[in-house]
Amino acid sequence: MSERASNRMFEAFLIVCVFIFVMLCLAPFLHIIAISLSSNRAITSGEVTLFPIEFNWEAYSKVFSDVSMLRSLGFTIILTVATTLLCMVFSVAAAYPLTKGNLKGRRFFMYLIIITMFFSGGIIPEYLLIRDLHMINSVWSLILPGLISPFNLIILISFFNNIPPSLEESAEIDGSSHLHTLIKIVLPLSMPVLATLALFYAVGRWNGFQDSLMYINNPDLYPIQLKLYQMVQNNMVTELTQMEGSNRTALTPESLKAASVVFATVPILLVYPWLQKYFVSGVMLGAVKG
Amino acid sequence: MKGSAYIKRYWQLYALLLLPIVYFLIFRYGPMYGVQIAFKDFNLFQGIAGSEWIGFDAFRQVFAMPDFYVTLRNTFMLNFLDLIVSFPAPILLAIMLFEMRSVWFKKISQTILYIPHFISWVIIGGIVYQLFGNQSGMINNLLMNMGLDPIPFLTEKNPWLLTYLFTGVWQSAGWGTILYLAALTGVNKELFEAAEVDGAGRLKRIWHITLPSIKPTIVTLLILNLGKMISIGFDRPYIIGNVAVREYSDVLSTFVYRVGLESGQYTLATVVGLFQAVVGLVFILGSNYISKKLTGDGIM
Amino acid sequence: MAVKARKGVLSRALALAMATAMTVSLLAGCSSKSAEGEASSKNGAAESGKRVTLKVEVFDRGNSPAPHTITNNYLTQFVQKEFGDPNNIDVQFVPIQRSEEVTKLNVLMASASDVPDIVFVYDSSVFYRYAQQGGLTEVGPLLDEHGPNLKKFLGEETLQYGKLDGKMYAIPGKRAITGRYASYIRQDWLDALNLPAPQTTEELYNTLKAFKEKDPGKVGGKVIPMGMALAPAQYEPLIYSFIKPVKGDLTYPQRYEMPFHEGFKDAMKFMNKLYNEGLISKDFSLDEDKSQLVKDIQNGNVGFFSDDVDRIFYDDGILDNLLKNVSGSKLAAIDAYTNAEGKHAKSRYASNGLYIMIPKSSKRAVEAIKYLDWMASGDNLVHMYSGVEGENYELVDGIPVMKPDAPQEAVDRIYNGGDMAIISNGKNFGDVKTNEKAWIFGFPERNQEMLRQSIDIANQDTIGPIAFGKPIEAEAKYGTALLDKLNVIIVKSTMCKPEEFEQVYEQEMKDFMAKGGAELQKELEEALKELK
Repeated sequence: MSERASNRMFEAFLIVCVFIFVMLCLAPFLHIIAISLSSNRAITSGEVTLFPIEFNWEAYSKVFSDVSMLRSLGFTIILTVATTLLCMVFSVAAAYPLTKGNLKGRRFFMYLIIITMFFSGGIIPEYLLIRDLHMINSVWSLILPGLISPFNLIILISFFNNIPPSLEESAEIDGSSHLHTLIKIVLPLSMPVLATLALFYAVGRWNGFQDSLMYINNPDLYPIQLKLYQMVQNNMVTELTQMEGSNRTALTPESLKAASVVFATVPILLVYPWLQKYFVSGVMLGAVKG
Repeated sequence: MKGSAYIKRYWQLYALLLLPIVYFLIFRYGPMYGVQIAFKDFNLFQGIAGSEWIGFDAFRQVFAMPDFYVTLRNTFMLNFLDLIVSFPAPILLAIMLFEMRSVWFKKISQTILYIPHFISWVIIGGIVYQLFGNQSGMINNLLMNMGLDPIPFLTEKNPWLLTYLFTGVWQSAGWGTILYLAALTGVNKELFEAAEVDGAGRLKRIWHITLPSIKPTIVTLLILNLGKMISIGFDRPYIIGNVAVREYSDVLSTFVYRVGLESGQYTLATVVGLFQAVVGLVFILGSNYISKKLTGDGIM
Repeated sequence: MAVKARKGVLSRALALAMATAMTVSLLAGCSSKSAEGEASSKNGAAESGKRVTLKVEVFDRGNSPAPHTITNNYLTQFVQKEFGDPNNIDVQFVPIQRSEEVTKLNVLMASASDVPDIVFVYDSSVFYRYAQQGGLTEVGPLLDEHGPNLKKFLGEETLQYGKLDGKMYAIPGKRAITGRYASYIRQDWLDALNLPAPQTTEELYNTLKAFKEKDPGKVGGKVIPMGMALAPAQYEPLIYSFIKPVKGDLTYPQRYEMPFHEGFKDAMKFMNKLYNEGLISKDFSLDEDKSQLVKDIQNGNVGFFSDDVDRIFYDDGILDNLLKNVSGSKLAAIDAYTNAEGKHAKSRYASNGLYIMIPKSSKRAVEAIKYLDWMASGDNLVHMYSGVEGENYELVDGIPVMKPDAPQEAVDRIYNGGDMAIISNGKNFGDVKTNEKAWIFGFPERNQEMLRQSIDIANQDTIGPIAFGKPIEAEAKYGTALLDKLNVIIVKSTMCKPEEFEQVYEQEMKDFMAKGGAELQKELEEALKELK
């Protein structure tokens, strides 16, 4: 077999494998979209799979006419952007010094950080801390406690470590300060991992709601996922709601839940395609070398 | 190096570290006094300081519960299987995507592959039951229509483990590729070009160039994963699990939920948390040490 | 030199670390202390003329229609205007997510300073734990002094539920309707087979057999004679028709205490028989949220099932969809299960609802009681539940009947009525019959007649929970684990082969007993003795 033919075979094999997996990933999302566009009767009777049955936009018109949903979406976008920026600044500031093997106290700081991956005080002391810092009902309670993820920090350190030391050394010989080297050489070389971590932080913030459950009592500061959680969870007839008896309210229609899921998920799904432009290899490398 | 010269050379690095360290001290170490709860008969209204010391009584109580060992075993088992199956999956997928020439297909695939990460387990659970149910699940309906016996995907041990693993791979593989792709884009293109000139076969090239170039990333993530061998999320085993497979799906997090948090017994919950923390720390430091010796890579 | 420099940097870092950590924990220690200190003075400040704030918990279910929010809506404004302003009180509502209520409440209780002045839970063991740990205000004397209307509304029987060791630590809400479950059968299937509605468990079994063999609905292989799910509304009615209550028409209160009853094994054996003869839903063990059951009912595959008394009657609900999906289908409410005495035994709710509590740290205990008393007086409760006369409802025979053509705006303003009117679970107007009537009026007219029949069935031969008047410690300790284990017993002993039943059942029961069941049973039996 010629090399070209074998290459083409290989490509076809790759495409088929990936295509199958892509379809598996797409189908459930299509199912959710189909539900959001179907009638309650068709959904609860189990007729909806990948295509809407008794098509209607009612659920979406309800979601989009709900001012609190729109406001919550806007708030979550701002919160996510602000959180991501702060997290990135703090993570880079923490990671870069810790890549310097000859920095005194480095191991101590590493232990300090790794310990926090495993030990925590529990929800009551954490709540008391946030209260004593006067951050209950404040956006800061949603930003500051998760400022640096030790997990992400270690990944960043590992990527920084893989930058050829020669590049940094040559800069240092030129008399460049550490800060200067970081900004001019290390960061431009690390765009893919920075984009990745930004995505991790952004998605973490977007999907997180447990903290708002504890720290936020003001409905104006509910992140979108909290509203979603309420809708999906609060309406389940569980052990918890058994005792409500005749005080029970009618359930939220499945289509409305599904429409809300789509509404709260699509914005964050768009982030990755946008970030992909930072996943360009070699460009910066070439520039520095040249 | 002289002290003053050292400080002159490194002060910027310490300045950079200052705020992050303050962050860790306030937000991570500030509430850490809460671990005392494990050694106290915690009363909500007396607070941590006001509750009575009980020494290791609560530890003895937890270690005497048969359920503790069952859930510990299951946690290890599920995490170990995940390490074998779910850990390599994104590496494989990332390499496939990286090797692919069709740029537009690659980009669209990447965007779709990570969608499952955004669907909450409650919703995934609903879909899994529709798909894999014994009598009413779509797959078994298909099998029965073809005259085959239904497979008890959800109610018998081994099929259930497969279902559990499959949903894990499905949910996290696409998301996991992102980091490896970031690592791969950092690889020097010239290496690949040189290899192509050599006429190295593609599989060979993957083995000799692509994989080694993401080895540090793989090692880092592997160590981090080993540190989490004894902790496990609540949602996946709880939602994919059911009564019929409770003996295998019951894990430490559901155990803590049952004995501790729900009935307000914070002491027991804290004891289990402390146990997990110590074991996790030993695992991560141990695997880091071994990895350093074997591969030269590690997390610190 | 190098050593020195290193020491300098490190020791400074360490000093900083210590300093920050210590200030934080000191701060934490101090402020919770001081909050507790202040809390000891409990006199209502409102009397001295100063405007005070009363903080009240409210369940947040994320269902506030715009422009309302959970903390600012028609009813919160109504409370402020009618109760707050005249008494010089700012009523502030603190939302707690419905599904995380206890977790959050625990944290708030521990904080002392942030906990609302009025909190509530449904779970009696949470109430007892708070009371035993000394976290609650004793409300008895306050109630005598400031809550005459409230006492009258709740009545002695309900008030008993709030006591621990003879002292009142909680104000129990009053439950309007105590009936729980009813069963339904496909009347058109009976008609097709020329069968009467089954009156006993024996007849029911024969009817199910006939459904299975003759497939009167012509649904092919999909016929499910009895719809089953791993949910209390489905298996409790069946089990209750086998077990013998421990005290007349009263028995142990928790569901996971069913295995302690004589007859429980027979119930499991019956389930096993039904399952092995293909008479109940095969996948019931996977169907904890009943979605599969609902599907099967609506598609017309199910011949007979039990459910919560109200569940199938909502607009666009199970009954509506069945009739839409299967033309000619007809459902009838029946009371088929009978016990050894020939009675249609089934469980009912206790006569109380929420446990309403005032934390010990609260300085507004008097105002809190006044607020609840206000709620119980005049027609405030009617207003909170049903809105404005003429706009939301019309009075018919003294019962507010919701207007089906009320504008959305009017409907929206009482969306959280049930969660605001905490002293009442369901619409309370006095006697049970009136409450039921009022409740029925909230459903689509086409379904009202059958709901009425359902309620009558649900009230027939009911068995209530014993009120021990003291906490059962083992419930708090093992409750969650035993509830899970109960499900395991039901599933395993139902799904095993008939010849394996003895062995499987005994094995699972042994495990149940080892997981705290034995301890619980002993405690229950002792408590029962004390009661007699």
